Amino acid sequence: MANIDEKLQKIARDLLESKEVSLIIGYTGGSHPQRMRPVFITKPEDVGRLSFNRHSVQDLAVFLKKQEVKKFGRIGIVVKGCDEKALNVLMQEYQVSRENIKIIGVECNGVIRQDLADKGETDLSENTVYDKCLMCGEHTPILHDYLIECADPQISMSGDIKPFAKIEELDSMSSEEKDVFWEKEFDKCIKCYACRQACPLCYCSRCIVEKNVPQWIDTNFGKIGNAQWNLIRAYHLAGRCIGCGECERACPVNIPLMLINGKMARSIHDLFGYKSGLDVDAKPVFGVFSESDFNDFIK
Amino acid sequence: MSRIGVFVCWCGSNIAGTVDVEKVRDEASKIPGVVSAVDYKYMCSDPGQNSLRNVIKEKNLTGVVLAACSPHMHENTFRKAAIKEGLNPYFVEIANIREQVSWVHDDKERATSKAVDLMTMMVEKVKRDRSIDDVKVPLHKKTLVIGGGISGIQAALDIANGGVEVLLVEKEPSIGGRMIQLDETFPTLDCSSCIMTPKMVEVNQHPNIKLYTYSEVTDVSGYIGNFKIKIKKKARSVVEKDCTGCGNCWNVCPMHKNVKSEFNVNLSERTAIYVPFPQAVPLIPALDRAVCLHFKKGGKCVKCYEACGPKCIDFNLQDEIVEETVGAIVAATGYDLIENSLYGEYGYGKYKDVVSGLQFERLLSASGPTEGLVKRPSDGATPKTIVFIQCVGSRDPEKGVPYCSKVCCMYTAKHAKLFAHKVHGSQSYVFYIDIRATSKGYEEFVRGTMEQDGAIYLRGRVSRIYEDEGKLIIKGADTLSGNQVEIAADMVVLATGVIPKKGSDKVAQMLGISYDKYGFYTESHPKLRPTESSTAGIFLAGMAQGPRDIPESVVSGSAAASKILGLFSKDEYEVEGTIASVNEATCVACFYCRRVCAYNAISGKDIKDRSGKLIKVVANVNPGLCVGCGACVNACFSKTIDVKGFMDDQIYAEIRSLSV
Ligand SMILES: Cc1cc2nc3c(=O)[nH]c(=O)nc-3n(C[C@H](O)[C@H](O)[C@H](O)COP(=O)(O)OP(=O)(O)OC[C@H]3O[C@@H](n4cnc5c(N)ncnc54)[C@H](O)[C@@H]3O)c2cc1C
Ligand code: SF4
Ligand code: SF4
Ligand code: SF4
Ligand code: SF4
Repeated sequence: MANIDEKLQKIARDLLESKEVSLIIGYTGGSHPQRMRPVFITKPEDVGRLSFNRHSVQDLAVFLKKQEVKKFGRIGIVVKGCDEKALNVLMQEYQVSRENIKIIGVECNGVIRQDLADKGETDLSENTVYDKCLMCGEHTPILHDYLIECADPQISMSGDIKPFAKIEELDSMSSEEKDVFWEKEFDKCIKCYACRQACPLCYCSRCIVEKNVPQWIDTNFGKIGNAQWNLIRAYHLAGRCIGCGECERACPVNIPLMLINGKMARSIHDLFGYKSGLDVDAKPVFGVFSESDFNDFIK
Repeated sequence: MSRIGVFVCWCGSNIAGTVDVEKVRDEASKIPGVVSAVDYKYMCSDPGQNSLRNVIKEKNLTGVVLAACSPHMHENTFRKAAIKEGLNPYFVEIANIREQVSWVHDDKERATSKAVDLMTMMVEKVKRDRSIDDVKVPLHKKTLVIGGGISGIQAALDIANGGVEVLLVEKEPSIGGRMIQLDETFPTLDCSSCIMTPKMVEVNQHPNIKLYTYSEVTDVSGYIGNFKIKIKKKARSVVEKDCTGCGNCWNVCPMHKNVKSEFNVNLSERTAIYVPFPQAVPLIPALDRAVCLHFKKGGKCVKCYEACGPKCIDFNLQDEIVEETVGAIVAATGYDLIENSLYGEYGYGKYKDVVSGLQFERLLSASGPTEGLVKRPSDGATPKTIVFIQCVGSRDPEKGVPYCSKVCCMYTAKHAKLFAHKVHGSQSYVFYIDIRATSKGYEEFVRGTMEQDGAIYLRGRVSRIYEDEGKLIIKGADTLSGNQVEIAADMVVLATGVIPKKGSDKVAQMLGISYDKYGFYTESHPKLRPTESSTAGIFLAGMAQGPRDIPESVVSGSAAASKILGLFSKDEYEVEGTIASVNEATCVACFYCRRVCAYNAISGKDIKDRSGKLIKVVANVNPGLCVGCGACVNACFSKTIDVKGFMDDQIYAEIRSLSV
């Protein structure tokens, strides 16, 4: 562990001292030993605060959309494999340019679910990590300027646990049953928009929910408005969401947003053979015009 | 406050027969903001339009809804009427209650209720209309014509004669295209080169035409009125301005074997330095570096250089790129023939005396390899019997193309006729599926071939051709008599179908125009805009659009020319103002809009503060390119881009008007 932190700190110090970047976004110890929190380092003498471990759950890419952060110009950022996919999408969508970003990648074999960690969980196992970690195909960040090896062993899978099993369960339900399920979930939504704020890919300066001429999304609590918000949010992330799970983690009322995101990702892959965040040079699946499109409505 | 007038048209009984127009009128008058609702027998008639104008004036209307026929029919009529009363034309909306209601429904009550809905939607829309100005694009009055076949030549001449400068780009060393390869032409049998060469010479001498032969267009950007183009002049190895066309060079070139003449469709050879045919325009040779000994053998051979009086051969000439700006483009890239090798059973390529239609043209032509005497390729003997096979590749979805190549019935009749004229006592047989001879004088022409020139027409397909004792044995079916036939012939001519010129898909992609699955350029509208491409400012002509004969190619060349002269008769081009517009305050420059725009209308724009510091980048719509299709609107997550006249709040209001 200490080894990782030292490496991190050295990279950060070099980057800041050489003025290659003016800000490093990373993790530091939080309110208790099983919590990490984001930290912003601008001075070489502060790099000692940087740390990384199996509790580094946040996707720090979310900060890149903030004006306060953008101001720094060239930025170094600590990312896990899953988080790095967000960088790729941001680059595909011209929100981040590769020249302005130093990617400090850390190999990761899973992070412990925060709800368990808060109760003292420190063991890394198939029962303690997020579902996304069980399905992770990018333990090593795809793009990186620096790479720090993993300190944790690979998780062994017993085969008893099926990540996102609920998606299949929902798939097998009738439309009416699904309606009932989601209506109950969306009913909890308090329109705090934490899901949006936590998402690295929700970077619009004016979200559609804030558009009021016309008001497409009903901002009151209510069946229609709640469904509109949650569905449009999901739809705007279809083919873009990289599955970091930050939205679901941020939701104060525990709406299982990853079920929607996961289902969308599967459909996008089935229909278009596309997975988001894997290739910075790929055309985003909803950003393609093709003369040979199989639909003939736009020719 | 909105002051809306609603005008419900009967269209005689066209609408009134199925829709209760009075009910629609009464419902209209109940909508808040509607200050006048009337119905009338024919709104498009002069009195109808006058009543529209009167109401606009008297009631001081801020918007007009016509519940009438499709906007395609009369939107313009009504807009013009509104303009006369000082109303911005985009405050005129049409609820289509004819094509979308009365013509497609029977139940009067339900049709009426749908008509009321459509009318109500338009009232809600017109309330939210903003005044829109049409966009004016300045025109660079110069034209690029790509392809120097008959269609391109015709377009170039007509445009140039109209006083507009033309750049004619032809990739071969000479203009003339396929037509100059032909012998005599149906239906009047005038000799192709006799009618073609004067036009070619005229092109060359025309003060308004700049000819680029042995050249290709390599890059096109921009939009109507302002296309930036790059022309690559391939290294000809001959200094054009000094060459006199004397021919000394090609007469001494030792490479006169092994290189097949493209012009004679492989029936003869040409030299490495060559003009494709004696009447070439310009009469300046090109040196084919791929076969020239100088280039292949490290500079040894300099025979042509030595023979050249003005010493204009320069082995070191390089490709040259010329940049130009033009306001309009004609794509006239013509055609090729389908690969005959697809039809192994006909023995093309295996038996020398099985030739294509175009090769037969060369065998008939006085400038061809046999100087116009019909001789068969294998031994030079005069054939007595020729079998012609039509529809080789055409109308054959399996192996060839499903469409009809249109010219083969006619040129086969011509071939059989000319063969009869040139070789007395000869006999031709024509295998056909149908005879398509539909233009003026065509049917008579084919009849003449059958009746006066004695060609025997057999309806059916040929199954096999093989050689036996110096003869070609043709086995086929005569489906009219039901007999199998076997003919021993001296030659076989395949009426090979036509396909778009190789590389025309690349040209289309470069120009940003659409093409069909075969590669033929598609028209903006097949009937009503047959000469316009899908992109404003780019016009089409000739076989590049689809099979057609010379008269049709000429017509299309002239049509493109007249469109361009019309366009250039003004100094600016007006584009409908209903194009995309970006809310720069909310744009986050994700450029999904740019990705989905099929018209390349979107680019990035830097927003800077007063000191010149970049604040942000936003999407920017080029009014010359945007057609208002709205694809971008769907792609934009933040609802930042909208098409004027179809703004978000308008669409939303239309939908809301239905649910209440
Ligand atoms: C065997 C045969 C016999 C025929 N006989 C008759 C007849 O008797 N009467 C009749 O009316 N019709 C006849 N036709 C039809 C006639 O040939 C065509 O209608 C006519 O030639 C079409 O002219 P075009 O200019 O459209 O195309 P083309 O003649 O093909 O000209 C196109 C030109 O564009 C050039 N080009 C192509 N691509 C590029 C590029 N990328 N850049 C620059 N230049 C380019 C080509 O080199 C060519 O010079 C016959 C056709 C065939 C096959
Ligand atoms: S939608 Fe949720 S899971 Fe997907 S990228 Fe945004 S925060 Fe991550
Ligand atoms: S975070 Fe949860 S409660 Fe808040 S808006 Fe999103 S879904 Fe609703
Ligand atoms: S899609 Fe919308 S937000 Fe993105 S660049 Fe275009 S206009 Fe701007
Ligand atoms: S409306 Fe159509 S043509 Fe215009 S910018 Fe949008 S996508 Fe392009």
